[in-house]
Amino acid sequence: MATVTTNPTTGSTSVRPPDAAHGSRVRLTALAEPVFRYLAYAVIVVVFLLPFVWMFFGSVRREIEIHGYMFPFSWHTIVPVEWTIQSYLDIFGISEEGAKGGLRFHRGLMNSGIIAVAVVSSSMLFNTMAAYFFARLPFPGKKWLTAYVLATFLLPFEVTVVPLYLVISEMGLRNSYWAMIVPFYASPFIVFMLTQFLGGIPKDLDEAALVDGASYWAILWKIIFPNALPAIATAALIEFQFIWNLFYWPLIATSSLDLQVIQVMIASQTSDRTVYWGRTFAGLVVAVFPVLILFLFGQRYYFRGAVLSGMK
Amino acid sequence: MVAASVTRPAAGARLLSLKHRQYLVAFLFVAPALINFAIFRYIPIFMAGEASLYDYSLLGGFGDFVGLKNYRRALEDDLFWSSMWVSFQYALMKVPLQVVLALLLAMFVSREVRGMSAIRTIIFFPVVTSLVVAAMLWSMMYNKDLGLFQSMMGAFGVRHNGFLSNPDLALPSIVLMMVWKEVGFSMIIFVAGLKGIPEMFYDAAAIDGASPFQRFLHITLPLLKPVTLFVVVTQTISAMQVFVPIFVMTQGGPFFATNAIVYYIYQNGFAYNDMGYASALSFFVLALLVAVSYIQFKALKGQAEY
Repeated sequence: MATVTTNPTTGSTSVRPPDAAHGSRVRLTALAEPVFRYLAYAVIVVVFLLPFVWMFFGSVRREIEIHGYMFPFSWHTIVPVEWTIQSYLDIFGISEEGAKGGLRFHRGLMNSGIIAVAVVSSSMLFNTMAAYFFARLPFPGKKWLTAYVLATFLLPFEVTVVPLYLVISEMGLRNSYWAMIVPFYASPFIVFMLTQFLGGIPKDLDEAALVDGASYWAILWKIIFPNALPAIATAALIEFQFIWNLFYWPLIATSSLDLQVIQVMIASQTSDRTVYWGRTFAGLVVAVFPVLILFLFGQRYYFRGAVLSGMK
Repeated sequence: MVAASVTRPAAGARLLSLKHRQYLVAFLFVAPALINFAIFRYIPIFMAGEASLYDYSLLGGFGDFVGLKNYRRALEDDLFWSSMWVSFQYALMKVPLQVVLALLLAMFVSREVRGMSAIRTIIFFPVVTSLVVAAMLWSMMYNKDLGLFQSMMGAFGVRHNGFLSNPDLALPSIVLMMVWKEVGFSMIIFVAGLKGIPEMFYDAAAIDGASPFQRFLHITLPLLKPVTLFVVVTQTISAMQVFVPIFVMTQGGPFFATNAIVYYIYQNGFAYNDMGYASALSFFVLALLVAVSYIQFKALKGQAEY
């Protein structure tokens, strides 16, 4: 190692002594790069994946096993000995114990699903319309309207939850599906994101259609919408993830157990946690499953969404 | 409202010139969104302002007008100040840790080599996971008696007396969970930033004999400054609003060690049924955060133009 080596990336000869940190690192990297990289892979996989693996395996084993194999730490602390779907039968109220305990996570999933479908579809319609306006339609003083939309970025969401609650109460929407849908049928962030994108579609497309006498609505529907599909898909995924994962607002906006969304439902299991870990794990799995699956299929959109939201 | 005043002339649209009719039709496209933002983003602020001047409860609605009493009470409320301090400490721990880790991870994962796209995906898993799921999962890992950490540390013969139940460790434990959850998000933004740096800068520096560390110091860091600043600002503002992990993991305890401001607001409004005071506190924090983000928004704009 102490010899003078040639740096393979630059072709320049390194004359630094081997103990100089930088020089030696260059040579080491060339030699040990794959080793170091796979080591880093292993650390990352353990840190970011192990909790999920533990959660999943915990949901498909017997309750007594989870606690019985916790100490001393071994292979079976994580991996089940005997596989069972009992915890799932419990949380969906299919098993007798689950039904007796009043568990009905299917209801939570259904509530979350209804709200998500309503929010995603309505917000895609109204956000795209608004973005079409900002990106392409003529209107005097549009910059004031832009400022009006952008200024909402300054309002921190969690802090405005209590004020929003006052508005929803005054409107008489408390404790209804509407309370969890109506506030989100449009999103300043999605409007902004789609505006950026729609601005990039060639202008001659709709100008030609306008000359032919097409209405704005027809242009939006027949020209803009098909061309903007990747961006709209990105927005829809972001919106779905946002609304599916929302917790604080549904927690306070509804008190009826029939309206509980899945996120609130799993959190209300906390008190039983020490008794029924298996059920808690199963609840977490069903709560995270839809977003994780969508993410696996639409990763590119998620990354782009993250970057766009990062660049707002 | 804006919408009403513009739609009213609709009946006499024929009287309008073609141009004005065009404007009107165009406005109809944006009206639903603008109405949404008025009702659900702007009006709440005024409502909170109004409610903060009254005794306002969930059941009774508006009670007596009390003027600035709620605000005066906040100023004298030790728990309010300590909750602000908790949120501030949380941000102070979380933001630097997350930014540094995100940058390191970004430099690692932005290389297009075998296996890297899978690694990016895995780091992003917690980002798409809900806060509730992450917080519950981690509180089970942190569990004093049966937690995974306790078990793993036991393998090395270490025993500890609880993470979330320990006043000194509770907040850092929440920070650690949240960094795990959100570092992937900041990482992706840094990856995009790194991709924006022209390759030739590095090539030129390499030819001049700059070491990787020197290249990082003199090319990567300065060129990433706007992105970094952006990540720091947005993360600070979101960290100041931490709520869900506290609700799920510690309920503000032990001994108020994790009683962050948004959680304290929630408690006042929904546990103590004192909406007037909760509104006053919200208004306080809102004003503070709006001022902070406005200043930083301006600063960032100047930064982006170089």
